[in-house]
Amino acid sequence: MLSSVNFTHDTVIADLEAGLGTLTRLGNAQVDVVLLVVEATTKSLEVAARGADLAREKSLGRLIVIANRVRDEVDADAVRKAFPDDEVIAVPHDPAIVEADRHGVAALDAAPDAPAVRAISAMARNLLVMAGHNGSGAASV
Amino acid sequence: MKLAVVGKGGSGKTTTAAVVARTLARHGTSVVALDCDSNPNLGISLGVGDDETERLIAMRQALDEGEQEHAPGWDDLLDRFGTDAPDGVRLAVVTAIQNPEPGCP
Amino acid sequence: MSNEVTAVRVALVGKGGSGKSAIAGILARALAQQGARVLAVDSDPMPGLSLSLGLGLVDAPIPDDAVEEKAEGEPGPRFRLRTGLSALDAVDRYAVDAPDGVRFLQFGKLRGHSASLMRSQLAFRQILDDLPPQSWSVVGDLPGGTRQPFYGWARYADTVLVVTEPTAKGLLSGRRLARLALGDARPGRLAAIVNKVTDPGDAEWVRARTGLDVLAAVPLDEAVGDAERHGAAVMDEAPDSQAVAVVTSLAHRLTEDRVGAGIGS
Repeated sequence: MLSSVNFTHDTVIADLEAGLGTLTRLGNAQVDVVLLVVEATTKSLEVAARGADLAREKSLGRLIVIANRVRDEVDADAVRKAFPDDEVIAVPHDPAIVEADRHGVAALDAAPDAPAVRAISAMARNLLVMAGHNGSGAASV
Repeated sequence: MKLAVVGKGGSGKTTTAAVVARTLARHGTSVVALDCDSNPNLGISLGVGDDETERLIAMRQALDEGEQEHAPGWDDLLDRFGTDAPDGVRLAVVTAIQNPEPGCP
Repeated sequence: MSNEVTAVRVALVGKGGSGKSAIAGILARALAQQGARVLAVDSDPMPGLSLSLGLGLVDAPIPDDAVEEKAEGEPGPRFRLRTGLSALDAVDRYAVDAPDGVRFLQFGKLRGHSASLMRSQLAFRQILDDLPPQSWSVVGDLPGGTRQPFYGWARYADTVLVVTEPTAKGLLSGRRLARLALGDARPGRLAAIVNKVTDPGDAEWVRARTGLDVLAAVPLDEAVGDAERHGAAVMDEAPDSQAVAVVTSLAHRLTEDRVGAGIGS
């Protein structure tokens, strides 16, 4: 379905099923970017490694690894070591995100300046630059 | 641009997708956010609240039913089954939790 | 024969990342430490329970040759354990020894072929159905999320525990799981475990929003996060942690409730 979606919108972002179910079933879907979110735990790294293999096997799209809830350099290194050939973006552990999650509000509303929100937003803006979008909306984040 | 967000449950996948979607929307692109998780929570992270998230009708059901008759267009489905999230992001839930074979492909 | 009255059969479900496997790992080992004969089963295709038990990454699913297609006209599902191989034999041969005497049985892993997964899945369920219920306690780690856990995975369980985080997404998932569990497994008892508790009101919050009784409230515990990072068992890394204390008393309570209910007597 991902291949065939055709909205008049500029951007489609799909939050896939947790785990690898959708990735294993995907046929020849093509996206521009696969954001692979991973924590520095043994389980999360194992799932992500399998996910990255599947994304590469199926030539799904450009892979960006998001090292999430990074507490220190040890965490960041664990993720970089697991994905030595991929682009890795570190997003720090952030109590503001924990708090937003608890109350079911958007992190971008509750804590727009929180370090984790800024890290993810910066990555998103880079995607726009690379896609050649001129940023006509000009709202600042 | 098409983006897919993947990861183990609880990795922060949905929070990440929501921040990316709204950031892109704030920079002037029109954004559709598709919740393909069989346990859809993206609405909460986008900021539409849990009641609205729970209420959203799965677009997948409409797709399956629509195939028998004439298939409605994507934008039409989005109008009927989506909801407006902050910053102009249009959100739709694609899976039905009781559908045995959900997912976005 | 004390095992005859203390066997408990628990299945844990929960949103991905809720801490279901970590709790299942502690619970299985706590029950074993209290004298039960415990089979810990992982029906989650993602790596999980073996790490939380302290076994590291184990890839030891039920082999294809343990399973055969049923004979023409034979009732039951398409595949079953091969003739002459009982559930107890299968546990003897294919379960892996875990610490504290827990035996660990794993459903086939994600990279298997789907035909092989189906054989393994049916054999796995048969083992759980046929295992003598009075002498074996079972702690099952079910697939994460709300889609896969039900389809018959939990039918062996007398108690289904919904591991719920006190967050908006956690509560929404908990409500969905409670509804689906009632529709599919119909366990004797369906209850919540609140995990990563940071506020004294969390248990009541979960009870009110999911409609489930809360059997245990496990505090947010750095020791659990550290063990997850290392891929180790909390029981080994932090036996004196609060998480271990709470889950150990849950193990006692589950056992006492079984005795109190007169099951197996």
